Parts: sequence; C-alpha cells; structure tokens
Amino acid sequence: MESHATVALPASWVDARDFDSALTLANDPLVTLPEKVTVAVPAGCKVMVDAALKILCFAHQLRDRGASVAIKFEDGHDGAMGYLNRIGFFDMLDSAVEILPDRPVVSGAVVYRGMNDNLVEIAALRSVARDKDLPARLSDALKNSVASGKAAAKLGRAAFTVFAELIQNVYLHSGSALDGYATLQVYKGGKKAKVVVSDNGVGIIETLRPTLPAKYGKMSDSAVVFEAFQKGLSRHGPGRGCGLKASADHAIKYQAELDVRLPKCRVHLVPSASGYQPHVAFCSDSLPLLHGTHICFDFMFDK
Amino acid sequence: MNETGTTIRLVDLIGGSDAWGHEQGREIHGKLLKIVEARPAVLVFRVSLDGLQRTDASFPRESVVELARRYRGRRGICLVDVEDPDLLDNWDAAAQRLLQPLFVWQLDGKHRLIGPPPAKGNVEMLEHVMSVPTTTASKASKSLHLKVNNASMKLRQLNDAGYILRREESASSGGVEYSYFRIG
Repeated sequence: MESHATVALPASWVDARDFDSALTLANDPLVTLPEKVTVAVPAGCKVMVDAALKILCFAHQLRDRGASVAIKFEDGHDGAMGYLNRIGFFDMLDSAVEILPDRPVVSGAVVYRGMNDNLVEIAALRSVARDKDLPARLSDALKNSVASGKAAAKLGRAAFTVFAELIQNVYLHSGSALDGYATLQVYKGGKKAKVVVSDNGVGIIETLRPTLPAKYGKMSDSAVVFEAFQKGLSRHGPGRGCGLKASADHAIKYQAELDVRLPKCRVHLVPSASGYQPHVAFCSDSLPLLHGTHICFDFMFDK
Repeated sequence: MNETGTTIRLVDLIGGSDAWGHEQGREIHGKLLKIVEARPAVLVFRVSLDGLQRTDASFPRESVVELARRYRGRRGICLVDVEDPDLLDNWDAAAQRLLQPLFVWQLDGKHRLIGPPPAKGNVEMLEHVMSVPTTTASKASKSLHLKVNNASMKLRQLNDAGYILRREESASSGGVEYSYFRIG
C-alpha cells in the first residue's frame, strides 16, 4: 500500500510557525519521505505569505525527492485558494503537484499584477535570470503603503538594502537547482508588513560552518545565525559578509522582527536597545526538516 | 579639488538610479577599471553619485570601494555630488568592511571621510594635507612643528593607507622629494 502523510493546517490564520507545527504532527515528511503527501487546507484557513512560501518550497522539495504531492482546499476556489492564486502561488508551483478540487485556470497574479499597493506578488529568484527590479518593487510597496513624505523615502532606502542583501544571499548561498522566492504583503490596514525571502538550498549554516574559525564549532546553529546577523560572518573572508548584518542594521531602525528558519532550526530576533536579541520562546534547534533558508521580516507601523 | 582629476558619473555606467548586489558591483568595477587604466596620467578619479537613488552595501563594496583599495597609495578615488547623506550609510559600511578610507566632497568644498578614521597620531597631519594644495615633509614639519623625519613618516603612512596621494618632484637641493596632496 502507498505510504501517505497529511499535513493538516488549522482553520485559522496560518503563519510559518503554524506550518512547522503541522509538519511535526505529520511525522516530519521530509525525513520519513512517504510516497504521497497531502497538504490539507480547511475552510476558514488563512495562509499568510511566510507560510505560503514554505508550502511552496516544501512541495518542491518533496517532488525533488520523488514523492507525489497534493494540496487539498476544502473551500474550493474561494478562501485560501483564491488568495494564493492572487499572490502567484500557483504560477510558481510545479505543475505535477495535484490541486484539489482543481487548479485555478486563470492566474490572479497575472491579471491583477501591480494593482494592489499592499502586495508584491511572489517572484522567483533564479541566479541565471536575475530580477534586477525586485528590490525596488518590494521597497516601493513597503514605502507607499505605510509612510509618506521624507519618512517614506528613508524607509524605502532602508528596505531596499534589506531586500537587496537577502535576495543576493539566495543567489550566492542557495546552491540549489530549485528556485527561491520573495514576496511582500501588508496586513491590518498598513500596520504590519511581512516580507519573506525563501530558498531551497542547503541553508546558510551549511555554507558558513566549514569556513568559520574553530570557536564556532561548539556553537549551536541558532547561535551561529545570530552572529551572522549581529556581527557579519562570511565564507569569503573578512572583507565580505556584511550582507545579513547590513540587512539587520537597516531593519532594526524600523523595529522589524526577524525570523530565520534553517533546515532544522529557527532563530527569532526581536529589536532591543543594544541591537537584535533572540526571542528564546520562539527559537528552536529541533524543528521538522525543511531545506533552505527562509527569512521573514515583520515590519510594524503606527498608523 | 585637484587639477589632475577626472569625474565619472556612476549612473551613466549603471544605466539606472538603483544598484545592488555583488554581481552588479563586479560589473561596474570592471567598467571603472577600464576607465582608470585608459588614463594613466590621471591620479584622482572623482566618482559622481549624481542621480543615484538607492544602493545596498554590497554594490559599493564590490565596485568603487574595491577600486579605491586596488589603487591605494598610487591613485585616488573620491565621491562627489552626493545629494542624500543617508545614501552614504551603506557606502560607509562597505568602506569600513574593506578598511578603505574614502573622501566625500560636498558642493561647498567641504569634505567628510567615510571608512576607517586615520590613526590618532596622524589626524593632525591629515588635516594639514587637506587644508593645503600640496605639501612636502619639510614644509609640513615647519607648519606642525615636527622633526622632518617624523613628518615624513606620517605622510608616508597616510599615503600607504589610502588617505592621501604623493608624486615625485625635483627638490631644490637637486634630489627627489615627494609632494603630498589630498584626494579631491
């Protein structure tokens, strides 16, 4: 009989952490590798962009390892499927992934692209075909939807650095044949924005560790990630490696929270007077397997 | 400003008002390198940021700051036409990362330094060089009341670290003397 696992999402807002919980309950599918995996999306489930990109990567990683994958929407074309169609999820999804009841015929992202200031539709990150305007599109969306005047220009410039460095990091570190993705969604009437950059590579820790001095050998993955954002670490030596740190330095000016998910661990960083600090309750070194580096910035704004 | 300089407008090389990433930085570095190599007599290259809206920290590091590091002590790179000082945060981070000082010249003739500051013992000498068209070890030693050897060492250190430039000139005594000048 075919082995089968179901990743059941809850009937509520679903962010990246909720998706991780669902992976755990499904017995860690990328480790157990059943022949078929179904992601079940119940009525009332609202998928946030950080979870959406992880579902996309999860499906492709399973396909890459020979499993068949289905995503089942209990609400049909309404609800979560309608939203995911609008942000371009199905345009990026491998056509071999089965969609139930059926795949949308028309892409909402293609029809309405660029018409909503609060959204930047999912963009693919391929090192062979760099999307040169992507950092500008992401930072303009953030700037236009949450601020105006001089403050907007300042935010736009800071956000440009954050996105440019993260996207570049995917090109330099991912080492995967599978695409990476970036997207942005503004929530709660402009009070909160999520910016997510995900890839399917080996994870920044895997590329950093072999090149770091011996003292890092004893540190946990989450501690090394923290150092990379706080002090700047690079496998290319001391002259490089300002990318993640530069991102963090700009994002902290806007009190953005930063969530970094690696294959087995998560580091959640919150701003403090002395820079970013790990939020211990949300950090873990024993999560279900999800390949790649998944970075999410949560910008909060007073409106 | 030094008469031996030439100005390069960066947005003309970029072809737009935004620039980011290692790859684009390397591409522009290549274009800058060609311009510098094609003008062997020019000692100072003023990189104009006129029209440049946004960069990350990787782009300036791989393009202009790397160029300045490559030619350190022999030819000088500085920045001009910076409309928005906030733009310089990333350029400063890049200059700090490569330990390469860069002078930024404003329209009113004032300047600021990004990247690492000079050693404390050389600050006064750097200020002196920035305030005169050219100087020599003997002239500087008189102005700053130092021994000639000491002035000469400070000038050489500043030149080697990329804060200033020098060229050989014939001394009145008949020998060769270095004339030091600012990058601007």
